[in-house]
Amino acid sequence: MNGPDTWRRWALSLPAVAVIMLFSILPLGVVLVYSFLTPGDFGNVKWIFSTDGWFSVLFERNIFDDTIGLSGANLSILFRSIILSVLTTLITLIFGVPTAWFIATRPPTQRNFWLFLITIPFWTNLLVRTIAVQEMIRSEGVFNRILLALGLIKEPIQMMYTDFAVLLGMTYVFLPLMVLPVYAAIEKFDFRLAEASYDLYASRLFCLRRVILPLIKPGVIAGSILVFVPSLGAYVTPRVMGGGKSMMLGNLIDLQFGQGRNWPLGAALSITLTVLVLLALIWYTRLTAGRKERDHG
Amino acid sequence: MLDIRGLSKRFGYGKGEVTALHEVSFSIAEGEFFTLLGPSGCGKTTLLRLIAGFISPSGGSLVLDGKDIAAMPPNRRPVNTVFQSYALFPHMTVGENVAFALEAQGRPRSEIDPAVDKMLSLVQLLHLKNRKSSELSGGQQQRVALARALVAKPRILLLDEPLSALDMKLRKDMQIELKRLQRETGLTFIFVTHDQEEALTMSDRIAVMSGGRVQQIATPRELYDSPANRFVAGFIGESNFLAAKAANGAVEVGQGRMALEGAADGPLTLMIRPEHVMLAGNAPDALELEATVDQLVFFGTDTHVHLGLADGAKLVARVQNALHGTRNLNEGERIRIALPAKALRIVNDEEIAA
Repeated sequence: MNGPDTWRRWALSLPAVAVIMLFSILPLGVVLVYSFLTPGDFGNVKWIFSTDGWFSVLFERNIFDDTIGLSGANLSILFRSIILSVLTTLITLIFGVPTAWFIATRPPTQRNFWLFLITIPFWTNLLVRTIAVQEMIRSEGVFNRILLALGLIKEPIQMMYTDFAVLLGMTYVFLPLMVLPVYAAIEKFDFRLAEASYDLYASRLFCLRRVILPLIKPGVIAGSILVFVPSLGAYVTPRVMGGGKSMMLGNLIDLQFGQGRNWPLGAALSITLTVLVLLALIWYTRLTAGRKERDHG
Repeated sequence: MLDIRGLSKRFGYGKGEVTALHEVSFSIAEGEFFTLLGPSGCGKTTLLRLIAGFISPSGGSLVLDGKDIAAMPPNRRPVNTVFQSYALFPHMTVGENVAFALEAQGRPRSEIDPAVDKMLSLVQLLHLKNRKSSELSGGQQQRVALARALVAKPRILLLDEPLSALDMKLRKDMQIELKRLQRETGLTFIFVTHDQEEALTMSDRIAVMSGGRVQQIATPRELYDSPANRFVAGFIGESNFLAAKAANGAVEVGQGRMALEGAADGPLTLMIRPEHVMLAGNAPDALELEATVDQLVFFGTDTHVHLGLADGAKLVARVQNALHGTRNLNEGERIRIALPAKALRIVNDEEIAA
């Protein structure tokens, strides 16, 4: 196609292209450029090319003998971010799928009420919710006081500022993101199929494995992505629940742009995070694409 | 083979309690094509689901081959179902659907594969083995559902209105196909339908149900010829009902009078099928009446003659459109009609109820 028609199409798609460029590609480009610059003395950057930022993501130079070694601190934070995100996804799966199942199997008139309960936490600021969780588990908090009063423990258990605290906080915050897509999938599930499988000699487990799980899989995968991706970049929850002891990638990035005054390293870490998320999404499309292929094969 | 004894089912509690099935009892013989026939809400589907085991009875027992299976879960019963919606597994191929029951039973692969192929060729779908079940037409899905339910050789095959989603032409084909399958496999079929014609053409015996009760169990011929009550007569085939009075071994309708055995004195209802109404007087052993031709409706093979009696009662006669000998009638004409005693039935106005 040629002439005015082609031109018109371009013109009409221009706003969309502009929005994507302005809010998505351009900032990412800025971050990418900054990751290859030299840190300024008081933050910001000097316009001198350097790969030090990228180098520091995984390695560090010993300040005494100039030898190069792996950056233990960064690696452990990277490792912790991935492990905690995977664990958050698994735990929200374990609690989220039965919850979604429960809601989806209520009478239709009651379902909205239960969904409403699930969405209530969204009405409150994330920080306030996280502090509420903190209030539960801190040394003078609800749990410890109950356990002390019952005489089960003699001294309060230190739960705050541990990986457990971060995990608990993230599980609490991200659980609805798992419940909602899984609910949508189960709600669409035709329970006559489960009945048919029982009729055809299937045990409950066999039915779950061969009929129910394959059919609600898209919802489970969507929920897992919705939990895993923001977990990986979580900032507020690890900050409040983990403090300086149990940092995650988001906090490390914040540190480099703030006190660390190493913007290129912060930028390189940001790109690293983006790449990790991208890898997770590629894995996701592989899973669902494989499904579609079989659907139409 | 299957004895249903005093089987009942109630749903709900307290004031909201509804009895879907009132203490039903009957037996089904080995290799029988048995049909549960009735309008929606008559309890036929409830009875089928009780036999399948999806719901448990409120009372009574269900004895299969001498064993009470009423408390047995559906996956232990040697009974399989063809569902109205087919309920094929959409994420599986045709072959996987058919293999499901054998896999669930933990049979070895070496046994499953040939059994699946054999079943698929029986329903003439072997060439579609690797298709997704969602890619099939309604009739093909129907066959897959049949093969899937038959592959594990159940003692009884339950069919829950399996043909209702098909169009007329396909339905007729599948009726013949189903009957053929039943003969070839020698299996006991319990077929649920609300379509009386379907029931008449396919069944060895039919249980006509209404209001959670069995109204009559009989062969198609017996049901048609001697319906137990007005409900059965009205539900199966077309019927004319006439209010009559009996006295001294004779019945009286309007000005007509005829001796009829077994008529107790008092008012009663007579039933006659439209094809038995004769449009001529002077027949022996018949009730003769005067009628007006209200309307003539041409149906191709036959004509329906709508008649009005002197007392306002309406009657339909069905006359075959033979090449010769079809009498010319005109609307508005007054004629004499004869209702042969052999074709007249005294029917109970009340259906069986509590």
